Amino acid sequence: MTEEPYRWLEAVANRREYVHEQLKSGTPVLAASLPEGILLLGVGGGQSKVFELFDRHALAGLGHPADIEKIRQAAIDAAHVEAFTRAPEDVSLRRLVSFGLGPQLKTHFEQIFSAPFLVEMVLAELGPEPGRDLFFRLHFDGSYRTQFGGAVVAASQAEAEAAAQKWLGEMVKTKPGRTEAADLLLQAWWRLSENKSFTEGLPDEAARQAGWREAVKGKEIEIGWLARQASRPARYQAQTAAELGL
Amino acid sequence: MSHSQPIAGDFLSLLAEHRLEPAASAASSGAPVQTQATTVFGFHYAEGVLMAGDRRATAGNVIVTDRVEKIIEIDPTSVLAIAGVPATAFEMARVLQTSFEYYRRSQLQPLSLPARVRALARLLRDNLPMTMQGIGIVVPLFAGVDHAVIPPEPRIYFYDPLGAQFQAVGYAASGSGSGTIRSILSFQERYGQPRPSQMGLRDAVRFASRLLSTASEFDSATGGINPATETYATIKVLKASGVETITDAQQKEFLHD
Repeated sequence: MTEEPYRWLEAVANRREYVHEQLKSGTPVLAASLPEGILLLGVGGGQSKVFELFDRHALAGLGHPADIEKIRQAAIDAAHVEAFTRAPEDVSLRRLVSFGLGPQLKTHFEQIFSAPFLVEMVLAELGPEPGRDLFFRLHFDGSYRTQFGGAVVAASQAEAEAAAQKWLGEMVKTKPGRTEAADLLLQAWWRLSENKSFTEGLPDEAARQAGWREAVKGKEIEIGWLARQASRPARYQAQTAAELGL
Repeated sequence: MSHSQPIAGDFLSLLAEHRLEPAASAASSGAPVQTQATTVFGFHYAEGVLMAGDRRATAGNVIVTDRVEKIIEIDPTSVLAIAGVPATAFEMARVLQTSFEYYRRSQLQPLSLPARVRALARLLRDNLPMTMQGIGIVVPLFAGVDHAVIPPEPRIYFYDPLGAQFQAVGYAASGSGSGTIRSILSFQERYGQPRPSQMGLRDAVRFASRLLSTASEFDSATGGINPATETYATIKVLKASGVETITDAQQKEFLHD
């Protein structure tokens, strides 16, 4: 099959379709850069979605738990070896993704006789100020997009993801506090999960809040916080909705 | 230390997989005069464990520096106090810092206190060739919070150069000035009023500073305290809630109370 190039292309296209189909039921993860740090959020039914990677680095992902785990481990391994052989300050998200995770995911995706990774993720690197917070939106095929500051969403549908990110990017500027930003991310999560528009028929804030509260019943809200000001090198804290007063 | 497959959460086996072995040693017949760091000690006080050390490093009869940090925070619930050759000891501290964080992040749970204590013993054993040659010897103290008991309790451990580990009941000391310090601690714990284990933070810090000053009178390799040159001890306290550093400014304030 692979001797004929068009068949290889067809096989890759089929894999892309297969991955999209598998990821359809995944619920989105979101992240936002705030004056005091970076907030990452996911809602799961028992499986973890938000993780610490290194001192100033974290990821949030949706997809198959085993695949998220493999990528998480690879990123943690690479970050700690880098920190040990050079210095913790030399661990950068750009190098982790550009030279590590991205190429590995691409290679894996194009090896059509092995199972592809079923993941979509957001990776975050805390900067000294919000404008230098770096996000990588990493896709299952190894492609990625970078963004400084603002809000980033990873969802299974590209159009819905873009709409949510645009809405969230504007809204989060008006809600710089951690709790109110987490509330906003949950509103966006609810609209995405319900597959509803962010432009047409968007209910008022109270209705959106009621919406996400109803939708998360029986599920676990996972919140990761990378604090800009801290006395220790490790800036990540796992938080609960109750701790944030949600 | 060589493994074909890395052990989950074990940073040393991950390093071995990358052919990076921090404790690799080689024989040498012509070793230079080594830099040595002394004196460190730890004792239980009313709120937890206090670990202190002077700031002098020597090489033979030469004072290399009076600004060494011998009390090192390994993670939020562990403190290492180093006595011996700083080159080896600092590398051990770096290995432990990375190992504990690596385990916590990769395995999504912190390393237990017995495992943290043994991790240091393993590094000392790996350093055995250097120890047996008389170069690169390290005799550290370790304090960690035991979360297996309720409420969690800080504990002190000391080691021999080959890696044997012992839990200290009340106190432990290491380095060239440790004889003086152990004597005073033993006396104070038995006959003193208050005993070190009954002291509050201010009294404990003041007591620790005076211990180092006394040790420096009998041991030229111990730096002691010199307010005139703003030379204070390195002091960290370990409570159930974690590690806190007692700054020079705090020590100055406590000493002048």
